Amino acid sequence: MATILQARDLSKTVTTAAGDLTILKDINLSVDKGESLAITGASGSGKSTLLGLLAGLDVPTSGQVLLADEDLSALDEEGRARVRAERVGFVFQSFQLLPGLTALENVMLPLELSGKAGARQQAQDYLARVGLAERLEHYPPQLSGGEQQRVAIARAFACAPEILFADEPTGNLDSATGKTISDLLFGLNAEADTTLVLITHEDRLANRCARQLQLAAGELLISASAAVQ
Amino acid sequence: MLALRLLWRNWRSGEVKLLAIALTLAVTVVSTIALFTDRLESTLLEQSNSLLGADKLITSNQPHQAAWQSEAEEQGIDTSRVAHFASMVFAGDEMHLASIKAVGQRYPLRGYIDLSEQPFATSGPSVTRASGIPPAGEVWVDSRLLPLLHIELGDSLQIGEHSFTASKVIVSEPDGSGPFSVMGARIMMNMADLDKTRVIQPGSRVEYQWLLASDPDDLQAFVEWLEPRLTEHEEVVGIENAQRRLQGTLKTGRRFLVLAAVMGVLLAGVAIALAARQFAARHINPVALLKSLGVGARRIRLLYLAQLSCLSLLAALVGLALGYAIQELIALAVYRLYQIEMAPAQWQTYLLSVISGPVALVGFALPGLWFLPNVAPIKVLRQDLEVNTGAVLWQIAMACGVLILLVVVFGRDLMLGATVLLALAVVAVLAGLLAYGLLSLGKKAGAQAGSRWRLAVASIQRRRSASVLQVVVFATAVMLLLTLTIVRTSLIEEWQVKVPEDAPNHFLLNIAPSEVEPFQTLLDKNQLSVEQLYPMVRGRLTFINERPKPEDTLNREASLTWSDQLADDNEVVAGQWWDEWSGSESGLPGVSVEAEVAERLDISLGDELTFSIGGLEAKAEVASFRTLEWESLQPNFYFIFQPGALDDYSPMYMTSVYLPPEQKTFINTLLTNYPTIVVIELDRIINQIRTIVSQVSDGVGLVLLMVLLGGCLVLVASVNGSINERKQEAGLLRALGASRSLITGGVWTEFAILGFAAGIIAAVAAEALLIGLQVAVFEVPVQPHYIYWLLTPVVTAVFVAAIGAFSCRHAVNTPPAVVLREAA
Repeated sequence: MATILQARDLSKTVTTAAGDLTILKDINLSVDKGESLAITGASGSGKSTLLGLLAGLDVPTSGQVLLADEDLSALDEEGRARVRAERVGFVFQSFQLLPGLTALENVMLPLELSGKAGARQQAQDYLARVGLAERLEHYPPQLSGGEQQRVAIARAFACAPEILFADEPTGNLDSATGKTISDLLFGLNAEADTTLVLITHEDRLANRCARQLQLAAGELLISASAAVQ
Repeated sequence: MLALRLLWRNWRSGEVKLLAIALTLAVTVVSTIALFTDRLESTLLEQSNSLLGADKLITSNQPHQAAWQSEAEEQGIDTSRVAHFASMVFAGDEMHLASIKAVGQRYPLRGYIDLSEQPFATSGPSVTRASGIPPAGEVWVDSRLLPLLHIELGDSLQIGEHSFTASKVIVSEPDGSGPFSVMGARIMMNMADLDKTRVIQPGSRVEYQWLLASDPDDLQAFVEWLEPRLTEHEEVVGIENAQRRLQGTLKTGRRFLVLAAVMGVLLAGVAIALAARQFAARHINPVALLKSLGVGARRIRLLYLAQLSCLSLLAALVGLALGYAIQELIALAVYRLYQIEMAPAQWQTYLLSVISGPVALVGFALPGLWFLPNVAPIKVLRQDLEVNTGAVLWQIAMACGVLILLVVVFGRDLMLGATVLLALAVVAVLAGLLAYGLLSLGKKAGAQAGSRWRLAVASIQRRRSASVLQVVVFATAVMLLLTLTIVRTSLIEEWQVKVPEDAPNHFLLNIAPSEVEPFQTLLDKNQLSVEQLYPMVRGRLTFINERPKPEDTLNREASLTWSDQLADDNEVVAGQWWDEWSGSESGLPGVSVEAEVAERLDISLGDELTFSIGGLEAKAEVASFRTLEWESLQPNFYFIFQPGALDDYSPMYMTSVYLPPEQKTFINTLLTNYPTIVVIELDRIINQIRTIVSQVSDGVGLVLLMVLLGGCLVLVASVNGSINERKQEAGLLRALGASRSLITGGVWTEFAILGFAAGIIAAVAAEALLIGLQVAVFEVPVQPHYIYWLLTPVVTAVFVAAIGAFSCRHAVNTPPAVVLREAA
């Protein structure tokens, strides 16, 4: 199967008042198209930093990220933005919905930005698929946490990304809602055959991925394989 | 289209509302002041020009050339003609040497002729405005002509070979004090009747005036075309050299309005900058999200620029409409009060007002927003990441640059704008330090005080830098308001002092020495008094030392007087007055010269001046220079001689007297007894100055209102910045059992403390700024304002507390459950 994402000797060091701090050290990994990968680890292990680097939201101190054969580290911010626009989708722990926009408008936003026709219809379809057909005109503060995350998932899939990065998608939700959300996420993922890179500290969620990597103190510890859903 | 959609969504969510309001206010302030100043200036100029009856006029002893007329028509200049001359008029056995003014069609080009059918009326229902010039065969006359000729309105009088009906009396007319008016009562006739009288013969002494009016640029172009073609007998007369008294008033009024404009715009600018910062702070996460969705920095910049451009343009249009409406209301009020129709504003002013919206956006808002597209996309994952919001100095520099630009374009007074800005910069820095100190004091006091006080002080300490900023902003706003109020009051008082109610309103000239005593008896009998009788001879300055006087200055006879007393409004600025003067080495008598004319004529102390008085020569040595107040409406002289210096020249006397309106007919009694006495009626000029002062102070009142609005908006904007944080704090406190009244009391106390600190700083700073303005700009004596020292902190504390509590009402009133859920 073709590789869609590859990290080579990826390191990230930041300068703090106390001196240089290495957050990630020599990370090597690759993700195949259509694969689902969970990166697990304790708080502060560098999971979110790694996700940011893999998705091209940030640049490594050294090493390379290849996303669909494009070397993200060789691109400037505009170039990385283009790659994200064309291939990447996100689901965040804190949902990242714009509070002033309705659920429908939040989903429409990336479609409008990409200039695609029929943004409204498409957004309505996806909101219906996540079970929010009746709540199109609600604003995020009027929705529960689970509903907000469903809007975020609809927004992510509406753009039909090749690869979806999910950062603790159930981290802010109770376990029952978390289960609903993860069902929705994996269901849509399977349907769209999207590559999924998921960051979580929940084993239950990680176990639903085809593969797991554990991160501790900025280094990959175990390369677990083929966990069964 | 996408930008418009995004703008609409941002508007709906309330995120751009404050920015929009601040921008609208800026444009409203700019357009109100710009439109009003423009209209006021044009109106004042028109009114001043109405003293000429035109914008400019060409005086000559010949009718103007026909070729000029066609050139004027071609260039779109309005013209009219006037001929002034003195002639005997007869009615039965009575006769009078009248000052006759023959006027052509369209006279006056500026101003109005007010008429009445009731002699000596000065106002009231009988006074009507003339819609044209006297019809052929009719004349309009000065009221005092009627008793002089023993006639009534409707009777006829004879001018030269033609008989006219005196149909109306003139209440006021432009150029009332024409060259011959001093000789006798005015008669206004139609130019078409002039030939029928046959009074103008070759050699007759006539002053022809060719009246011109147009918009300033066209007129200037025409005058430039005309000037090289004028002979030495022809002269261009404009308001600049015709009415010096009004000029001073105009200049001060204009400076004041510009000052107010600078302050109004500055406050609106502060509100815009604060609103923009809040907008930027709220858009950090959305921008990071947009970036994660693959939108590049360049596109984000374009998207925001497009949104804000639309917003500023909309704000500009609304602001212009509001500004137009407000100044139109004032114009209406002016019309109702003074029956003065304000001139329309020029189209450039409308355009500039609209442009001020985007300009204010660029200057005040964009610097604070510029960093937004550079927000790192990783911010979506890392909320703790700090965002570089750009260099503050650069933002301040941009704001100052735009402010100066606005001041130069609208106010056309760079010095004033720069002075105020510099002063404000110093004030802001000092206020920052003072505020820091005062708030630290508050902390100590808070530790020993009750719970409301502690809550308030804790809140101030938690937002220490924001609190200092708020105090500086409040202090600046209050200082500006205070300065404007005091300057306004003192300017009006100053004008009132200069033109008191009982200021002399008539000059009486040509009183013969033998008439002085009976004249004074007559005054006493009528309970009128004069301050001083000035002896006067008419003479022409011919030589300064051995060189002839420069040709371009003082080409006429001047009134020469002598006196041992220095008038109250005169001040010796160089040399000595007679009591200290050691006398001339050559034995010549001394002369004191008005300082400005001395400068124009390049006269130095000790120079020998030669005057020609009735063909005889008189010499004197310059002993001193004097400044004098033309605004005072007292008799003033360019040259005052040492007593006795002009004894050989038979003097006539002059004086000034205050005649209440009901005693106006005294002039008749006076002239019947002493027909050679010449009366100059100043009451019209005084009324004119009063009207102008009223107009300017109306304008100033309006500007104060706008500045106050700006101040309020700044308060709301600055409180709004911390509103979410406050909401959470209040929610948490209430969840922990604090009562609503405790929290409300805490908010009131907090803003009262900030207001009190701001008030103290404002009073100190305003006093400092006032001293600067009084000394450097308005040139009036420095006066402390102790009452404001006491009142300002208290009033500011109450005002700021009220606005603060109002702005925080949602934070206090939202149920804690809602607040905590939103915060989760």
